[in-house]
Amino acid sequence: MAQEFWRWKEYNWRDPEESWNKAKMLTAGVDVGSVSTQAAVMADGQLCAFASMRTGSDSPDSARKAMDWALRETGLTLDRIRYVIGTGYGRVNVPFAHRTITEIACHARGANFMYGPNVRTVLDMGGQDCKAIRCDEKGKVSAFLMNDKCAAGTGRGMEVFADLLSVPLEQIGDLSYEVDQEPQPVSSTCVVFAKTEAVGLLRKGWPKNNVLAAYCSAMAHRVYTLLERLGVEGDFGITGGIAKNSGVVKRLEKELNLKALTPRYDPQIAGAVGAALFAHTLAQKEATA
Amino acid sequence: MMEVFRDWFEHRHDYAKQWQKKTGGKVMGYFCTYAPEEIMYAAGILPVRVLGGHEPQAVTEPHIFGMFCPFCRDCLAQGLKGNFNYLNGIMISQSCIHLRQAFTSWRLHVPVEYNYYLPFPHGVQNPPVYKYLTAELRTFQKSLEDWLGSTISDTALDHAIDVYNTNRRLLREIFDLRRGTHPPISGLDAMYLALSSQMVDKAEHNVMLEELLKRLKTKAVSGNGNSRIRLMLIGSENDDTQFTNMVESLGADIVIDEHCTGTRYFWNEVIPQEDRLAAIAARYIDRPPCPAKDWPDRRRIPHILNLAKDYGVQGAVLIQQKFCDPHEFDMPAIAQALKKEGIPSYNFEFDVTVPLGPFKIRMEAFLEMLRGEELFV
Repeated sequence: MAQEFWRWKEYNWRDPEESWNKAKMLTAGVDVGSVSTQAAVMADGQLCAFASMRTGSDSPDSARKAMDWALRETGLTLDRIRYVIGTGYGRVNVPFAHRTITEIACHARGANFMYGPNVRTVLDMGGQDCKAIRCDEKGKVSAFLMNDKCAAGTGRGMEVFADLLSVPLEQIGDLSYEVDQEPQPVSSTCVVFAKTEAVGLLRKGWPKNNVLAAYCSAMAHRVYTLLERLGVEGDFGITGGIAKNSGVVKRLEKELNLKALTPRYDPQIAGAVGAALFAHTLAQKEATA
Repeated sequence: MMEVFRDWFEHRHDYAKQWQKKTGGKVMGYFCTYAPEEIMYAAGILPVRVLGGHEPQAVTEPHIFGMFCPFCRDCLAQGLKGNFNYLNGIMISQSCIHLRQAFTSWRLHVPVEYNYYLPFPHGVQNPPVYKYLTAELRTFQKSLEDWLGSTISDTALDHAIDVYNTNRRLLREIFDLRRGTHPPISGLDAMYLALSSQMVDKAEHNVMLEELLKRLKTKAVSGNGNSRIRLMLIGSENDDTQFTNMVESLGADIVIDEHCTGTRYFWNEVIPQEDRLAAIAARYIDRPPCPAKDWPDRRRIPHILNLAKDYGVQGAVLIQQKFCDPHEFDMPAIAQALKKEGIPSYNFEFDVTVPLGPFKIRMEAFLEMLRGEELFV
């Protein structure tokens, strides 16, 4: 089988301290996105295990698989988890969730956890959408905007380019800087048109790296306009898969003239973490009610 | 009894055809709520508002450029598809270029017995406008009389004014009940009331409104409870019942609107004066304005803020038809004015059909934001 360049690393993680053993309460969040699914488990509000994998065609199945994988080496079973919240595009399809909360609220809360209470602007660059969020010191949303009618500036677009140029997704960022001069960005309004443009550039003899640079820069500009519309206030943190792509992140930082914070964990799991934290709060409230 | 209003709206073509058959009268399609319906009604005509069908279509592609608003294209599509084939006439009162394009194209491609373009002025704040519009209404009256072969008497105009004012008063009284903590009717039902009044004989509509008002006043407060968020809808036209239904299903009550399909349509009455046409002209000039006519002073924004305060609104949903420049221009100013009053807002761009899934996520997140501390310690 030909190499699938768009594939990104699916993996699970658990706290080496095995903090779940001493925890009073375990909660979880499952973020079923259009491209990827994450499950995060919290021991008294601290991250103790997670898994990140591709969303399949069956959302309930993806939710179950991600949860099982997160728990696999912990010796825990689902019934030990007091409260589960589903979020993401497939949030209503998490069969074992107690309730759902939107990914907008969850990413803000997750960013607050990953980046600390000073984060005021969060950019979530997900699989098929992109959200600019403003929040307070608790990670509570005060305003937000989402891209609409267009998937430019999202993970799916990056996958298309990895495939077109036969470059593994995770190398795109570094390679995009191996250029003599920063090229003009490609079309920033449509993934498919951008791809058409890129094919034209390749035919003209452009090296791959230049095409990658042109696409990363278009994507950075696309999300920059969304952020400008909302208004940016520091500190600034990025969540979602694209947060790991330096080709986009550094170019965006340059446009914004603002550094993005460094996350404590994989920024792709921010939504699931936020959901698990809400689960913790709601379970506490339920216990004291 | 709410289903009566819903059925009138949903089966509006059947209603108009039956009315035509029953009365032998003429039905006139009008394109904008600046149309002086009283004059048509006094002539024995049933004025019905031309609205879209919210179905994907391609029939307008040869006639209207794609960057005209989806509403004007959807309206024209209804004509081209023959859904309004019972109309005896069409008329427009000048509002925006987009809707005028739909009217002009309809006139070209869907021949009707009668058509009329009323040049309603944009400068509604200029003092000479009252005289000017009164003269234009006189020309319109004459044109109708020539078409019908009979004169429109002052008595008939008085009757029409009375029927229309009654309808406006009743709708306002019912809408006023939504100011309370427990709105007795949903935003969706309120939408059916206002929309159906734009396509049903007002005398008939009034009878049902009277009955509804009586019932609502005597009804014990059942209500929805305090936890529901009180929302206001603001924007151009909005007859998208699916969207309203989705919003309210998420635990919100739409308690008031500022749409030309809603309150802007019926908010003010005709104040009688000896010259009936001058009285009618003044009513349309002084009504809560469409942004196309709201300059140099901005009268729309204070009106919106008053409504928001009066109805205890916690958040506002700004709805804009894609490419509708006058409304698009207003959105930042409205959002800012509301924000100053502590009312957050969220924008939605509407098309012929709306993507309910993505809109639902945004709406849910907006409501989570308005609920504040619910999810926090």
